[in-house]
Amino acid sequence: MTPVDLFHGLTAEALALAGALALRRAWIKPDGLRPWLIAGGWLLWLVAVLFGQGVWGSVLGIAIVVSLICMTGALVVLSNVERRNVKTRMPREAALEPSDRKRVMWRGWLRGVLAGPLAGMAALGVGLAIAICSPGPPQTRMVIGGLLVPFLWAGGMAWTLSDNKIIRATCVLVGVAAVSLGAAFLKGSIA
Amino acid sequence: MRGQPIWPRIAPGFVRAMLAGHSALGLAFAALIWLVCFTGSVCVFTQEFARWEQPVAPLSAAVTPEAANTAFQEGMKRMPWAHDAYIGLPTQAMPRLSIRASTHEPSEREGDWVADANGHLLQPTQDRWSDFQARLHYELHLPRPWGGYLIGLIGVALLSSIISGVLSHPRAFKDAFSLRMGGAKRLQEADLHNRLGLWGLPFYLVVSLTGAFLGLTTLIVGVLALAVFKGDVKQAYALFLGPTPIDNPAAAPPPDLTRMFAYVKADAPRAEVRYIMVEHPFETGGRFSFNASTPGKISRGETYVFAADGTSAGVLGYEKGTLGQKILSGVAPIHFGWFGGPVVKFIYAILGMGLASITSSGVAIWMARRRDKGKPAETWERLWAAFVWSQPLAYAVTASAVLLTPPDSADDLLLSVWGGVTLASMLLPIVMRPKLISVTLRSLGGGLLLGLVGVHVWRFGIVPVDPVALIVDLCLVLIAVSMVLSVVWRPHVKPHR
Repeated sequence: MTPVDLFHGLTAEALALAGALALRRAWIKPDGLRPWLIAGGWLLWLVAVLFGQGVWGSVLGIAIVVSLICMTGALVVLSNVERRNVKTRMPREAALEPSDRKRVMWRGWLRGVLAGPLAGMAALGVGLAIAICSPGPPQTRMVIGGLLVPFLWAGGMAWTLSDNKIIRATCVLVGVAAVSLGAAFLKGSIA
Repeated sequence: MRGQPIWPRIAPGFVRAMLAGHSALGLAFAALIWLVCFTGSVCVFTQEFARWEQPVAPLSAAVTPEAANTAFQEGMKRMPWAHDAYIGLPTQAMPRLSIRASTHEPSEREGDWVADANGHLLQPTQDRWSDFQARLHYELHLPRPWGGYLIGLIGVALLSSIISGVLSHPRAFKDAFSLRMGGAKRLQEADLHNRLGLWGLPFYLVVSLTGAFLGLTTLIVGVLALAVFKGDVKQAYALFLGPTPIDNPAAAPPPDLTRMFAYVKADAPRAEVRYIMVEHPFETGGRFSFNASTPGKISRGETYVFAADGTSAGVLGYEKGTLGQKILSGVAPIHFGWFGGPVVKFIYAILGMGLASITSSGVAIWMARRRDKGKPAETWERLWAAFVWSQPLAYAVTASAVLLTPPDSADDLLLSVWGGVTLASMLLPIVMRPKLISVTLRSLGGGLLLGLVGVHVWRFGIVPVDPVALIVDLCLVLIAVSMVLSVVWRPHVKPHR
């Protein structure tokens, strides 16, 4: 690491830290400065990203600076730990509880099948349909379709595990899987 | 925080349903997600561990094409059975010249050598520990491709937990800076869970998505091949493998690589050749792939393909091809943090351990909720404490085993050691309560990490040839001391305003 690299890194870190501190100050004290501090905090982070892009390149700069902002924000929070006053409970701490579902064996298994294989098949079907049926170079379609698969599967998993209307989720997932896989296999060509 | 909310209000019923899903999924996959996060945080430093493991190997900041060619020719003389070879050229993260060769089935016969800056092979490569921990993260040491599928599924579950976590915490952004310790266990763990979760969110989304994609690639390509190529996966992969010289199994001596180097240098003067993959080095139809990375790009590097006679067959397109090829090329560096030098690696390791902590605090919230309801899950509390704290200990013992056993020890020795320590730790719940399990395993883990550093210094000295070994030793000491201190020290926190 050269002194210039160090200078660039420290500058990006200073901007990330200044942004986090401005936002924290806005969060602590809701006075007249608050809107300015919120805008200033986000602006500092934007400047950090632009600075990173200028120094390290467009994609690399974003990746480095966003990583820095994430870590800096977490460290700012961790360095300001407070002791909870057990006598004065904050309103936000009356947190919601997870919905209390009746434990029914078949529903549990069905939910597992929906979140796992069925949501996976539906996601795979949509990814394949995009890879096969959308325009553009085959490699681009395959990678974008492929990247969509875990994202859609995760979304389907989150939905089926949360939705209390389990039959609705079953119908939608079966329908999506049938239509998308059908379209992909019917076209049957990546060219 | 006071003031008018800027976020739309989310119906409590929706939040409660999301929380139920988030909780069920998190608990079902907690142990696997924790293991993948822990192993991933260590895996970020695979190259540094490889250097730490063999700190007496010669360092080469850069080598000439002639030196690389010498290493190749010497390697082929020593390993005339080679079907494929990999020549690693010095990079900033791994300043070594090395050559690895294997037969058609890699498990049949393999050879791996480190060369000096002139390309003369000096000593066999020692990377058992770094290879072990990397494979634990990639595939949990399960048979291929099932290990990859399981890792992909864990990535999907993690991504799904992140999505449901965001949707079930409508106040997450509002409470961004609030972290209070003390009081009810559940509130304390929830604060930590939500705050760490929010601040690492972009990182966690990217890492889980890319991890799931990497794990599921074989499955996705397999189904695509079924739909488009009548099940022939080779045709699907061919779209990304680039040009291939005409196959010709006629025997030929290993060619001179310097001409190929010259071609790459002329085509991309700023690019740095990082490795060369050689297929069929003793055949006229051999394929020589030069991977050259351009500074300032998140990319595995462009790959130039040559025939054995030195003529160019074209490029794969990782830096010059379609958008899809460029994205694909960036997936692995983005997932592992191998794109911005040591600072980014440290950030990745810290955020990765943050994700492991979030998983752990999620389980702690569930356990505290059970206690609050008068239905404590004591067995699970014990098992969870044992599992979480078994891993630093298992890693310390496994790494010590590498330093204390001969390099040609059985391949599955490390897996047995790691599995043995993990299983032994999981027996502690029979006789200990959670708090004592945690204290015992943290103390043992910290102590054995210090012991590991002692063994390393005893074998290689405090400052061996490679200075990275000293940095790794110092980091291990720091982690060990933190683990031991965490047993006895309670941080002072400010009272709430």
